[in-house]
Amino acid sequence: MTLLELCEWLYETGPAVLVRESPYGFQILVGIHLLGIVLSVGALMWLDLRLMGLSMTRARVSEMNRSLAPWFLTGFALMFASGLLLFAGFATAAYGNLFFRIKIAVIVLAGLNALYFHFTTGRTRPEWDASPQPPAAVRFAGLSSLVMWTIVILAGRMMSYTMF
Amino acid sequence: MPLLAYEQSFLIDSPSINPMSVFDSLAAWLESTHVAQVVGTSMWVVASLSAVHVVGYALVMGGALVGNLRLLGMIVPSVPVMDVVRPASRGIAWGLVISIVTGVLLVSWKAVAAIGNDIFRIKMLLLLLAALLHFAWQARVARNSGVDGAALKIAGAVGLLLWLGLAVAAAAYILFE
Repeated sequence: MTLLELCEWLYETGPAVLVRESPYGFQILVGIHLLGIVLSVGALMWLDLRLMGLSMTRARVSEMNRSLAPWFLTGFALMFASGLLLFAGFATAAYGNLFFRIKIAVIVLAGLNALYFHFTTGRTRPEWDASPQPPAAVRFAGLSSLVMWTIVILAGRMMSYTMF
Repeated sequence: MPLLAYEQSFLIDSPSINPMSVFDSLAAWLESTHVAQVVGTSMWVVASLSAVHVVGYALVMGGALVGNLRLLGMIVPSVPVMDVVRPASRGIAWGLVISIVTGVLLVSWKAVAAIGNDIFRIKMLLLLLAALLHFAWQARVARNSGVDGAALKIAGAVGLLLWLGLAVAAAAYILFE
């Protein structure tokens, strides 16, 4: 099964039809998707800025992470669930859209960045947890997360103008 | 034919400036500018402006979220309130600059219709209230009262509700304009 065939199949599934044909299904999902951005990127950016040593440097990184994680994880859950349904509803159009492809590629990179940080760079955290200026590798992880999520937002918005 | 006395008094007594007509003429002027015509004729310009507009929006909302959650005592309790509210306010301020500049450009080519749109009016009213509350009252509350007092929590809760209302109105405007 090719990716395009997968998209064609997804397009015909029950939830996808519901997204397209229910009176306000699409609007409600886009609303949830946008609120998901506020919670996820809005909360995560402060952890990223802390990792970069640019903001709230008196807070321990571990405390920032513990406090903010429930908010950005809830936001990501809302964004992924609504995004998946929206994608299903317009899967074939999204498949051919350049901005959609950029967006998905960068989301994958951002996910890999977070995983890499969690399993390697982040393991040395006790050494720089309280430091206002974490090591270069940590600052770089924060910067790349910030840049990539900005690109995801930009591409997501461009996509909605070029897809329909 | 000369005006009768009561007609003249009507002319003098009637308010010469109606606030809504100021907005209407401002909108009409905005629409007539060269910039508005450039924006209105290019989907790529509108799409790019809109993309940057949402980045500004995320900055505003991110600052509002973190600042108000700290006022409520729900995040980073060991960090002093002002150490969170100050950078959060900077985030809100930068986000506002970005989203207002792009927002004015975005709306420029259809300003008259936007001003007549109820959702747009609600969005602007909530933006004004939320920003006023944040910068005039909330920052002052955070500076003056003791840590985690009731005033901080009320400020945080009201602030959060206003910004959330703005987010809902913003989504509604995109979808139902």
